[in-house]
Amino acid sequence: MTGPPGTELLSDLGRARDEVGEVLEVQLLGGGLVEITARLPHLAATARPGEFAQLRAWQGVEPLLRRPFSVAWTEGDRCAFVLEAVGSGTRMLVALRPGDALRSLGPLGNGFGFDPCPARALVVSGGLGCAPFPLLVRALRRAGCPDVTVLSGAATGARLYPAERFRRGDGGVAVLEATDDGSRGHRGRVTDLVASRCDAATIVYACGPNVMLAALASTLAGLAGPPRRAEVSLEAPMGCGFGTCLGCALPVVAGGGPDAPREHGTAWALCCRSGPVMEVSRVAWPELLALPPAHVA
Amino acid sequence: MTGGHPDLSVDLGRGLVLPNPVGLASGTAGYGFELRRLIDIDRLGALFTKGTTLRPRPGNPPPRVAEVRGGMLNSIGLHNPGVEHVAAVYAPEFARWSVPVVVNVAGGSVDDYLLCLRRLEDAPGIAGYELNISCPNIEGGMDYGQDAAAAARLVAAARALTSRHLMVKLSPNVTDIAEVARAVAGAGADSVSAVNTFVGMKVHRGIRAPVLPGRGTGGLSGPAIKPLGLAAVARVRAAVRIPVIGVGGIMDAGDAVEYMIAGADAVQVGTATFVDPGAALAVLDGLRDAAPGLRARPAAALRGGTVPPAGVEPASTG
Ligand SMILES: Cc1cc2nc3c(=O)[nH]c(=O)nc-3n(C[C@H](O)[C@H](O)[C@H](O)COP(=O)(O)OP(=O)(O)OC[C@H]3O[C@@H](n4cnc5c(N)ncnc54)[C@H](O)[C@@H]3O)c2cc1C
Ligand SMILES: Cc1cc2nc3c(=O)[nH]c(=O)nc-3n(C[C@H](O)[C@H](O)[C@H](O)COP(=O)(O)O)c2cc1C
Ligand code: FES
Repeated sequence: MTGPPGTELLSDLGRARDEVGEVLEVQLLGGGLVEITARLPHLAATARPGEFAQLRAWQGVEPLLRRPFSVAWTEGDRCAFVLEAVGSGTRMLVALRPGDALRSLGPLGNGFGFDPCPARALVVSGGLGCAPFPLLVRALRRAGCPDVTVLSGAATGARLYPAERFRRGDGGVAVLEATDDGSRGHRGRVTDLVASRCDAATIVYACGPNVMLAALASTLAGLAGPPRRAEVSLEAPMGCGFGTCLGCALPVVAGGGPDAPREHGTAWALCCRSGPVMEVSRVAWPELLALPPAHVA
Repeated sequence: MTGGHPDLSVDLGRGLVLPNPVGLASGTAGYGFELRRLIDIDRLGALFTKGTTLRPRPGNPPPRVAEVRGGMLNSIGLHNPGVEHVAAVYAPEFARWSVPVVVNVAGGSVDDYLLCLRRLEDAPGIAGYELNISCPNIEGGMDYGQDAAAAARLVAAARALTSRHLMVKLSPNVTDIAEVARAVAGAGADSVSAVNTFVGMKVHRGIRAPVLPGRGTGGLSGPAIKPLGLAAVARVRAAVRIPVIGVGGIMDAGDAVEYMIAGADAVQVGTATFVDPGAALAVLDGLRDAAPGLRARPAAALRGGTVPPAGVEPASTG
C-alpha cells in the first residue's frame, strides 16, 4: 500500500531506488543544452514517461540537496537527462565526464497518462521542457498511437532540442518547430501551433515555462472542440522529491487531492507526488503565475 | 533485534523504550508512509511525525524551501491533515509497525494542544507525544518555546491529560534554552528534544527581496547548524535530569556520536534524509559498529564524560 486510505492518487514510490551509476557521455547540444547519458540500470528499466530522478554527482554538503531531472530517454541499461547550467548543482552536472559517478533516486512522481492510447497525441515542448518527451514519444508509439506530433518551441533556433532526438529513429513522428526570434520554424509562440491541430481524439502533453503552460491552458479553454485531455508537467523547488518535506507545493483548484488540506478554494498539491504531471484543469493558473520564478528559490 | 548485535535500546521513561537511539526527525519523514516505501523504517528507533494540529492546515504559499550554504531553509507552515485524520486513519496503521511512532503536536493556543492530545489519546499505535512549542513558521507558533512560564503551563496541562510519554521539542531561538528546559522538566515533561530549526533568511540580490514569502524567514536546518545544536544539547544536558534527544545537522554516525558526547541519550536525523533516504539507517549502522566495544548500555556509555559543565555558559568569542 502506498499510503493510508485516500492517497491512491499519489505516485507509487515502490519503484524508486537509490543507485550509483556511471556517466557514459556528456554531449553539448548547442544553445547551452546538455544531454547526459549514464548507466543507471534500475532507472532505465523502471522509469515511465514524465517521471523524474533526484540526482547527486557530488560529495559533501555543498550543494546539499539532490536536484530533480526528468528522465529524457532510456535504452537498455542507459538513461539520459537534458539540462542546462543554471546554478551550482546543474553546473556540477554539466561538468561531469565519462566514468564519473552519478547517483540517482528514482523513478519518482506521477508521469504522463496514455492508457487508453489516444488516436492523436500533441506534444508541446518549450525550451528545457523538451526533457521528458523522447521517452513519452517512444511510449506513445509503442502503445500504438498512430499520430504523434511534437510542437517544439524555444527562444532561438540554437536552443531547440534537435528534432531527430525527439524521434529517436521513428520516421512516423512529426516535429514542428517555433522560435521567438524566427530563426527557425514558425516565428512566435509554440502555443500558436496548437489550436489547428487539436480535436476530440487528441491528448495534449506539455512541458515548459509556466507562462507557456498557462498560455496553452487558456488556448485550450477557448477552443470550440477541446482535446480529450491535456496534461502538463510542472516544477517546484524540492527538498526531498518523495513527499516528506512538503516543500514542493503547487497551487491547485479545490478538490486538489488527498495530500492537500484545502482552504478558500485554492489548495496546494505536492509537485513530487501529485505531479509533476497534472491535468491542466487541476492547476490554479493565476496563482501559479503569481509565484516568483523557480530560479529565485 | 538479531543476535550478536549490542543492545542499543534507550529507555526514555514512562513506557517509551526506543529499540535504538536513532529516530527520524519531525517534518522530515511525514507520517512514515512514504519512507516505508523506500527504506526499512522498522529498524529505526523512532519515527517523529510531521507537526500535527487540531484542524487541517494547508501550509504556506510557495516557495517553501530554499537551499543555503550547508543547509536549507523551510517555511512549510505546518501543512498537515489535522488530528482527526491522523487519529482515525494513520494511527491504526502505526499500530502495525514495529517502529515506535511519536506524534509531534503543534498549536496556537493551550486549548488547541489539549484538544489535539485528547483526540490522540483514544488512538492506537502512538508511542508518545513530542510537543512542538517551537515552530518558527506559523504566527504565534513560537510563543511557548520562548516563554519559560508559558511553556511550563502548557506542559503541566498536557501532563494532566496523558499518561503517555511527553517529550518537549525546544526552540533554539531563545536567549537561554536551559531555562525553558528546566521549566518544562519541572512541569512534568518526560524528555526534551533539542533543537528545532533556527530562524534564518535567504536574500536574492536579483529581486532585492527574501526568497521565502511572507516575513521572508524560514527555519534553518542541516549540517550548518550542528555546532549550534551541540552547544544547545550540552546546555540542556547540564540543566535537566530527564533524557535529552539531540537533533540538528546530523549527517552520519560520527555526528550522532558527537551529540551523545555532548549529552544526548538519543538522536533524530532530519535534513540528511532528504539527501539520502537511508541516512538514518546509515547512522544506526555506524553506531552499531562503534558500539561492540561498549558494555550493556552502549548509548549510555557513548554519552557524557568530556563535555564540561562550562557548556552552560556561552563561551566568549575572540
Ligand atoms: C520534477 C522536475 C523535473 C525537472 N526536470 C528538469 C530537466 O529535465 N532538465 C532541467 O534542466 N531542469 C529540470 N528541472 C529543474 C532543475 O531541477 C533545476 O534547474 C535545478 O534543480 C537547479 O539546480 P541548481 O543547483 O543548478 O540551481 P540553484 O539555483 O543553485 O538551485 C537552488 C535551489 O533552487 C531549486 N531550483 C532552481 N531552479 C529550479 C527550477 N527551475 N525548478 C525547480 N527548482 C529549482 C533547486 O532545486 C535548488 O534547491 C526539473 C525540476 C523538477 C521539479
Ligand atoms: C522541511 C522541514 C520541516 C520540519 N517540520 C517540523 C515540524 O513539523 N515539527 C517539528 O517539531 N520540527 C520540524 N522540523 C525540524 C526538524 O525536526 C529538526 O528539528 C531540524 O530540521 C534540525 O535537524 P536537521 O538539521 O537534522 O534537519 C522540520 C524541519 C524541516 C527541514
Ligand atoms: S519535494 Fe519534498 S515533498 Fe515534494
